Amino acid sequence: MRSFSEYNPVAIFIYFFSVTGVAMFNTHPVLTALSLVGGIICLLTYDKKRRYKEHIGFFILFLILAAANPLVSHNGVTVLFVLNNNPVTLEALLYGINSAAIIIGVLYWFRTFTHIMTSDKLLYITGALSPKLSLVLSMALRYVPMFREQTEKVRNAQKGMGLFKDDNIIDDIRSNMRIYSILITWALENGITTADSMEARGFGVGKRSCYSNFSFRTSDVLFILTDLSLLTATVIGMISGRFNYGFYPKINSADMGAVGTVGAIAYSVLIFLPFIIEMAVNIRWKYLKSKI
Amino acid sequence: MIVIKNRSLRNTIRFLVPFIIVPMLAIGGSLAFDRKKHIIISMSIAIFALLLFSAGFEKKRTGTRRMVISAVMIALCFAGRFIPFLKPISALTIISGIYLGGEAGFLVGAMTAILSNFYFGQGPWTAFQMLAWGLIGYLAGVFSNHLKDNRILLIAYGGLTGALYSFIMDIWTVLWYAEGFELKLYISALITAIPYTLSYVVSNVLFLYILKKPVGEKLDRIKIKYGV
Repeated sequence: MRSFSEYNPVAIFIYFFSVTGVAMFNTHPVLTALSLVGGIICLLTYDKKRRYKEHIGFFILFLILAAANPLVSHNGVTVLFVLNNNPVTLEALLYGINSAAIIIGVLYWFRTFTHIMTSDKLLYITGALSPKLSLVLSMALRYVPMFREQTEKVRNAQKGMGLFKDDNIIDDIRSNMRIYSILITWALENGITTADSMEARGFGVGKRSCYSNFSFRTSDVLFILTDLSLLTATVIGMISGRFNYGFYPKINSADMGAVGTVGAIAYSVLIFLPFIIEMAVNIRWKYLKSKI
Repeated sequence: MIVIKNRSLRNTIRFLVPFIIVPMLAIGGSLAFDRKKHIIISMSIAIFALLLFSAGFEKKRTGTRRMVISAVMIALCFAGRFIPFLKPISALTIISGIYLGGEAGFLVGAMTAILSNFYFGQGPWTAFQMLAWGLIGYLAGVFSNHLKDNRILLIAYGGLTGALYSFIMDIWTVLWYAEGFELKLYISALITAIPYTLSYVVSNVLFLYILKKPVGEKLDRIKIKYGV
């Protein structure tokens, strides 16, 4: 048993594609609400730092997107009020809220995706696609902490030489500019050394191989199979037209029926799959602890 | 790196990739069924950026050196994206384009977008950011003779590309929101984005003014010393 974030990157990748794929193509409010709620809970679970500012930003964006549509589009039969000789309709407002919920829900999922798919996992996937691309990316990724360390070294050296004053703002800015300039010179020289060293070791002569830290286990296969079967159930519901939902000129929705209900349930299970896994892992952990 | 020997093939790639293939991938990818596969679109744009980059040199040794220098510039851009409000990415991309050639400028812009979005959030917009920054860097390389010595032209180019970036990103906003292109929505998106557009323009002008001379001198020195 592993927690959701420790599954094989390929499995996590497929999961996120199926959730966001359905969320982007569907217009039915039930599925939209499911994806939005699931996205919010998922981000709250995996964002360990709890940055509440982000949620406020999402909320403001939601309000702007929801208000944009009724101000631009004047379709619909139920007029709420008239603004500058332009009617603002209930249908356009609901359409705006629905599409805002779709966008914000998907943005929440992408945010969570960024938290779970750390750079090493993404490099694992890009490595399969193109090793050369993976090389450039991982080199640039490695340079960022290296530059930070070097900045500290340069700063200490400058301080040791007595060239650095903290109490004067203009002097502070000038010193920092000097440090940055030294850093760039060093980084470029260092880059050339790296390039020559790579050439000397035969870079570009043969085929590149990659080290990967991720194995493909039975639980990954099971996870992918569950994911795909739930996705199929939802997609069947979508293709059969059970999730059609029109806003203009009047709100009209297709009868969900058995196929639609099954599809909606399948999608909700799909969305809450990570939580089910986390819960099972937690229960097992408590059980094992109580046995000791 | 791969070396492309055939000159006419190189020239074809230089024209086709930045102006036809990458825009088609970004727009087609966000419009058509491929939308949910956004990361694959971003990755394929990245591979095309590498192909374009390989079309920019003839000798393998130059290629490896230039690639590492580009990785350094990408890392600098990435670090610069953490500065609040004012982003030096476009300015640094333009400088790389001028001094290392348009192909390297495209690579730096596109790779910065995909790499920094590992931190700032990947999504279908990544493809458009890659296109916008890549083109800004590539065009800087195309006009490098004029931009290198003329400070006023350079700053004008910086301001112009700040607006261009906003225009390209708003195409994405409209495609995403309306499931198709509507001119009315595009114009209203442009109007609501004015504060952002201004911040792009201001940061481009400011950073080009500050960084062009010192960074340019360093890149020139490296080019003379090692023959990149």
